[in-house]
Amino acid sequence: MSESTFMGVPREKIDWSPRIDYDKCNYCMECVKFCPHNVYEVRENNDKKLIVKNPNNCVVFCRACGKTCGVDALTFPNKGKTIKRIKEIRKEMEGNE
Amino acid sequence: MSKSYAILPCNGLDKCAGCIAKELAIKLTETTDSQIICPVLYRTVDARYNKIVEEKPLLVIDGCGTRCASKIASEKSLKVDQKINISDEAKSNSITIENNLRLGKDELKLVDIITDKLTKEKEKVKKVSSTVFPQIFEYEIYKKDKFTFKVPKEGFLFNENDCWVYVVGNKARIGVADYVQHSLSDIIFFEPPETGSKIDQFGEAGTIESGKAVFEIVCPVSGTITAVNENLIESPELINEDPYGKGWIAEIELSDYESDKELLYYFDKYFEILKRKVDEFHV
Repeated sequence: MSESTFMGVPREKIDWSPRIDYDKCNYCMECVKFCPHNVYEVRENNDKKLIVKNPNNCVVFCRACGKTCGVDALTFPNKGKTIKRIKEIRKEMEGNE
Repeated sequence: MSKSYAILPCNGLDKCAGCIAKELAIKLTETTDSQIICPVLYRTVDARYNKIVEEKPLLVIDGCGTRCASKIASEKSLKVDQKINISDEAKSNSITIENNLRLGKDELKLVDIITDKLTKEKEKVKKVSSTVFPQIFEYEIYKKDKFTFKVPKEGFLFNENDCWVYVVGNKARIGVADYVQHSLSDIIFFEPPETGSKIDQFGEAGTIESGKAVFEIVCPVSGTITAVNENLIESPELINEDPYGKGWIAEIELSDYESDKELLYYFDKYFEILKRKVDEFHV
């Protein structure tokens, strides 16, 4: 079971999850070990051994896995824009009620 | 004037940030009466360094986000006085660290900047809090295995990132929920937000750290930081002991609370979220 809404907004409408910079990532997998939400998936046989499998499992505004990254390969969307978008969607939803 | 540290540096000698950590440690022993603890030897023969760590305040120098030096400090239950992360310092000084293991001009400049920062006496500005915040609350409890998660029933609002806010007039106190301290276990270091700085809702209001992880305090409200809990610098364990009271993080003068409130939860909803989190994730 994963989170389905954030502040009343359907989770899939909010674009918030880590972006992996594959030029930097050294596949130490510290982020995978850290995140309890099953956001990442390890694919040993692929070129990209690590992918963001379940972006909507990521807790909105959480950047904690980024702190485990020794090579600074993880980034997140712009927070201000995300907040604005969430508020807009909430307004739209109110309007539809 | 000169400070004296027991220095526990990163020993990542196959990475540039690690080499900078080593250079910084050496530089500090030259400019201050500090002593280096070799992390490798410390791990195998700690008797060699036990006296130094008892006598001097501990300075931990991490090279990167893997935080090996911090993790060793936590393993050995050491009290951390000061902490430096080379990669973070590089970023905040707009210096790009190269991959070269021999240090270049920029890397040496970074060493100088950090040395200055560490050796200069900090001006102590006493902040007096004019607002009185209550200290004792009534809690609802959720139990799981040997853990007991507390949530205060009244007066607090929460964000989904497990940080709380308690508002009195146009001032607020922020902190982390009990869930955070249980998840991190023993908190060994508190990096406070800067007093006087402006902060957005969901911005970073400092970090707290255990041997397990670094937790970014996701600010529930927007405004200006007017005070930080100085007691946490000496005793970060207060967050473990009393996350809603003595373990408060910072005080904020609110700038847009009415709007911030739209994205916060009262007790009822947060308690539901907490229960779900505990059931799904807390192990």
